Amino acid sequence: MNRTPHRIFPVHFAPDKKLVHIVVKLSDAPGSYSSILESLRTKVNLIGTATYTLSDGTAIFSGFAEALEATGTGEGLRELILKSGSALDAQVREGRDGLLIDTFHRGFTVDGDRYVLMRQGELVKMFDHVAQLLGSGGEALLYEEGVATGRWSADTAASRYGAGRVRAQAKEFNHLMTAEGMGDVDGQNGPGDGEFTVTVTECFECTGKPASRSGCSFMRGYLVGAAESIFGKKYACAEEKCSLKGKNSCEFRLTPKT
Amino acid sequence: MRPRLLLLILLGEFGLFVLATHVYSSLSPLSLLASGLVLESFSGFEGIAEGMNRKGRKAHAPAAIIGNSGIRHEFAFAVVPDSGKPTVVVDTELAVEDVDDTKVLKFYVKVFDVRPERAILCVSPKLSSRAAALANEYGIEVLEDEVPRRLLKLAEKAIDEKPNQEGS
Repeated sequence: MNRTPHRIFPVHFAPDKKLVHIVVKLSDAPGSYSSILESLRTKVNLIGTATYTLSDGTAIFSGFAEALEATGTGEGLRELILKSGSALDAQVREGRDGLLIDTFHRGFTVDGDRYVLMRQGELVKMFDHVAQLLGSGGEALLYEEGVATGRWSADTAASRYGAGRVRAQAKEFNHLMTAEGMGDVDGQNGPGDGEFTVTVTECFECTGKPASRSGCSFMRGYLVGAAESIFGKKYACAEEKCSLKGKNSCEFRLTPKT
Repeated sequence: MRPRLLLLILLGEFGLFVLATHVYSSLSPLSLLASGLVLESFSGFEGIAEGMNRKGRKAHAPAAIIGNSGIRHEFAFAVVPDSGKPTVVVDTELAVEDVDDTKVLKFYVKVFDVRPERAILCVSPKLSSRAAALANEYGIEVLEDEVPRRLLKLAEKAIDEKPNQEGS
C-alpha cells in the first residue's frame, strides 16, 4: 500500500449533510469497541474515527459521521450508544449548516508529548516571511532554529527510548519524521567516511515554492542538530539539491567536521 | 498607474551618478531613490576598499561572506583577512524617514552568523529610537548622517580607527 497523509478530524465541512461528532468512553471489556460500532451501523456513515486508551484503563472512541436518518437527533444516537452496554459515557454533538468542529479534544499528544497542529502552509508562510524580512540573515536564523529544534528532538528521543537505541536505529527515525509530516525522509550512508545523505521528497519547508526562500535552511539545521545529538560529533550540512531549484526532492549531505 | 519621471543627480566623492528613469509601473519613486543611494554607497565603499587594499588590508566592497550556517551574506563592505574571520563588516540603510528596527535586526542576524569583530551600520538619515536602542543592545556601531555621501567619510574614519590585528 502507498503511504498516505494521516487524516484527522478537528473539523469537517460537508454542505447539505447532517454531521455528528460522537465521543464514547469505553470500558476495557473485550468487544466493547465492536459493540459501539454495531450499535451505530444503521444510523451513521463514519467519516473518520480514532480510538485510544487512557491511563485509567478505559478508552475513548471519537468519530465524525454523517447521520443516515434525516429525522434522527444527536440525543437519540447517544441513548442508542448507552443502551449497548459497552459505553461508560457518551456525547453526540451535531454540526451546524454542514460544518462540524471537534469541541471535545484539547490539542494533540504523541507518545506523551503535546503537539500543535498547524497548517503546513502557515509554517511555510512564517518561514518565508522571516526570509523576506531579514534576507540572508533570515535564512541563517532559520538554520539556527533548525539546529536547536533537531537537537532538542533527538535529545528528547534519547531520554525516552535510550541514546543507544536511537543511535542504533537512527534510520528508523526517518520514518518518524515522515509520519510527522516533514516530508518523505530517506537516509543513506556515505560516500565518505562518517558521511551520510538524507533525501527529503515533498519537503515541508519548500512545498508551495515560497517566494523569498533560497533553500531549506530549517531542515538543513534540523538534520545537523539531530545528527550532532545522536552521534556526538559536529556536522556540516550542504543542501545539494532542492525542490526550489527544480529538483524532484531535496538532498542534504552531512559531513563530520574535523 | 501613471508614468513617473525620476531624475536623480547625486554628487558622490567618487563620481557623478545620473539616474534618469521613466517608470511605467507601480514602483515607488522612493524605492528608486533608495536604490540610487545604495548604488552610490557601494561605489563609494569600493573606493575605500581599494585604498585599504593598497595599505595591505584585505577589504572587499561589496563583500560576500559565508556564515557559520553555510548561508552566503552580502555586506556593503568588509575586511576579511586570510584567516577568513571578518574583522569589520559594514552595511548601509538609507531611507527617507527614520530607519526602523527591522533593518537593525536584518543586519544583526547576518552579523551573528559571520561573527565579525566589529559591525558598523551606516544610516541615513538616522535610526528610530527603538532601532537605536536595539543596535546598542546588539553592540552594533551606528554612523548617521542626513547626507548619505558623508557616511563614506565617517565609515572610512571609523574603520581606520581600530584596524585590529588583521593578519594578512
